Amino acid sequence: MKDVVSSWLLFRVLFNPTSVFEELSNAEPQAHLIFLKYVLWLAIVPPVFAYIGASKFGWRLGAEQPLIVPSNDLVLISIAYFFALLFGFVSAAIVAQWMASTYGARHALGIHFALIAIIAAPLVAGSVMHLFPHVFLNVVGLIPPLIWSMYLLYKGLPIVLDISPERGMLMASALIGYLLVGAVSLLGLTVALWGRGIGPSIGI
Amino acid sequence: MGPRHWAVDRYLVVSDTELSNEKEFYFDEVVTALVMFSMLWAVVAMSVGVYIAAELIWPSLDLGMPWLSFGRLRPLHTNGVIFGFGVSALMGTAFYSVQRTSHVPLFAPKLAWVCCFGWQICVLLGGMSLLAGWTSSKEYAELEWPFDIAITILWVCFGIVFFGTIAKRRIKPIYISNWFYGGLIIVIAMLHIVNNLAIPVTMSKSYSLFSGAPDAIVQWWYGHNAVGFLLTGGFLGMMYYFLPKQAERPIWSYRLSIVAFWAFTYSYIWAGPHHLHYNAVPEWVQFLGVGMSLVLLAPSWATMINGIMTVSSASEKLKTDPALKFIVLSLAFYGLATFEGPMMAIRSVNVVSHFTDWTIGHVHSGALGWNAMITYGTFYFLVPRLVGAKLYSVKLANIHFWLALAGTMLYVLSMWGAGVSQGLLWLSLDAIGELSFSFKDIMASMPPFYALRLVAGLVFLFGTMLMTFNLFMTIIGRPTIQVEPPIVSEEWAVK
Repeated sequence: MKDVVSSWLLFRVLFNPTSVFEELSNAEPQAHLIFLKYVLWLAIVPPVFAYIGASKFGWRLGAEQPLIVPSNDLVLISIAYFFALLFGFVSAAIVAQWMASTYGARHALGIHFALIAIIAAPLVAGSVMHLFPHVFLNVVGLIPPLIWSMYLLYKGLPIVLDISPERGMLMASALIGYLLVGAVSLLGLTVALWGRGIGPSIGI
Repeated sequence: MGPRHWAVDRYLVVSDTELSNEKEFYFDEVVTALVMFSMLWAVVAMSVGVYIAAELIWPSLDLGMPWLSFGRLRPLHTNGVIFGFGVSALMGTAFYSVQRTSHVPLFAPKLAWVCCFGWQICVLLGGMSLLAGWTSSKEYAELEWPFDIAITILWVCFGIVFFGTIAKRRIKPIYISNWFYGGLIIVIAMLHIVNNLAIPVTMSKSYSLFSGAPDAIVQWWYGHNAVGFLLTGGFLGMMYYFLPKQAERPIWSYRLSIVAFWAFTYSYIWAGPHHLHYNAVPEWVQFLGVGMSLVLLAPSWATMINGIMTVSSASEKLKTDPALKFIVLSLAFYGLATFEGPMMAIRSVNVVSHFTDWTIGHVHSGALGWNAMITYGTFYFLVPRLVGAKLYSVKLANIHFWLALAGTMLYVLSMWGAGVSQGLLWLSLDAIGELSFSFKDIMASMPPFYALRLVAGLVFLFGTMLMTFNLFMTIIGRPTIQVEPPIVSEEWAVK
């Protein structure tokens, strides 16, 4: 088993996922290397796009005028977004590792970091939509990457974690439950921060 | 064999070994009929939902006719789905499972037929009354007083059949699914009667006994617990019976299911006031609603974990059984909806989310992702066994699975986007502290989200139609098979 995985993993997973699954199934990457090499950058990209888009165009929520958020608040929101994504990545990997014993899957944390990273890669690529923060365009634009991510999860999980496709289906569905909760938590956290005065000026 | 195994294991073990000499059979014809009615209502009521989703984009679709207006079709959609599709499915599965977990045929089978057909007539005529404009204006309790009385009588009949079967059971323990179905029957009766107390004025109009803030509190005590004890508790009864049967193994932790039942029953009943934040109800009542909503997370997730762990070692079944994957995914959406609900009950989140489409998205992540998915999974399991035949098409069922998942995800995403935008825009202030946007302007920007929701609804409806076709083709021309109750061993028999 190799303890490192080749470069361009995240790019290859977008176009040739099978080779990535097979490579990871024979690798035993170290968690801290995956974290520094991939996860950290995956978590930085969407907030940077979001910051650039919001400062340039304002939030386009459908009304005629865009919502212009003060620059200081945008920095705070982007940093909060970064940490929320980082927490999401790391916690999803830890939850996947916790589930692994139930489904008889590989247990090393590094492989779970790598799995979550490749699943997240299409969504992070799709976050290029944040450069023009129109809510509806972002929702629509993120649907194809979301479908690709779900395909990677259901198809890749059993290969990477070395379990049967049926067990993989069960574990992937359990993980979907956690990821959906993570997504809705991000919404709730955002809204709660607006209420605390971080973000647009709203009448609460 | 410990008590936690009793229901599933006794059935599996004893039914293959000892058969009764008495020729008595489970009464399953009524179950088949209720399943068929449920599928019919699913198609009708979801079609109405798709139509009103289109009306929100193209309002002229009401063709200028009052009975096609959104205000009349929307309660037809919700009542049709909840009472037509949902309750028919719950009645059918309750009648099926209570016989097998009590090891006796149904008590008063003729009364069960009265429940079945009476309920369908009630839903049909009730739906027509909504189209005619009869309404009490209470959400999810719109039907007027003649229907309220009919529902009460039919519900009591449902209770007599169900509890009568438990009373004449041949096995001592009462399996956990029956506790949930029993809770459904008792609590919904209580909620329905209290919330619909009214003074009739004419055949089509009555006025509630309650007024002002107490009326709102009673209404949401009803509304939220209809979600709790019907859409959650009732369907948990379905889950606790059919999931172990499909997985062919006992519930992971029977003890946890009992603890979760009582925790669920105790905490749910208080959570209604979270629908009334920042309203003219006492603040302590609102905070009580928030507190109990947060507490609810524990029993909800205990049940989800119990389900996921039960199915976790039954992966081989997925190779042959298309039904199981619906149930597995329904548990994921159950986890989402039962987390999202308490989160939206928190006042600082609710201040933005309330009165937006986020709420509609939340309801549908539960209704499509949890209620419909678990019912579909149950029907795919149940129908072939009711008629003793193979499923007409496994391939269609697999296609249905992906359509159901795609429809639900698209629905939730579109409503999250629309809801959060609305919440922010409603509250946005300009430089001098006035509201930045008018209601009209905000709603004028919503059609793209509503178009996406319409696509989601069509995808989900198409999947439901495939299932209906698939299961009708499985049933058609075949009688319901007769199954004898197994002998109960001495150890567990009612003396």
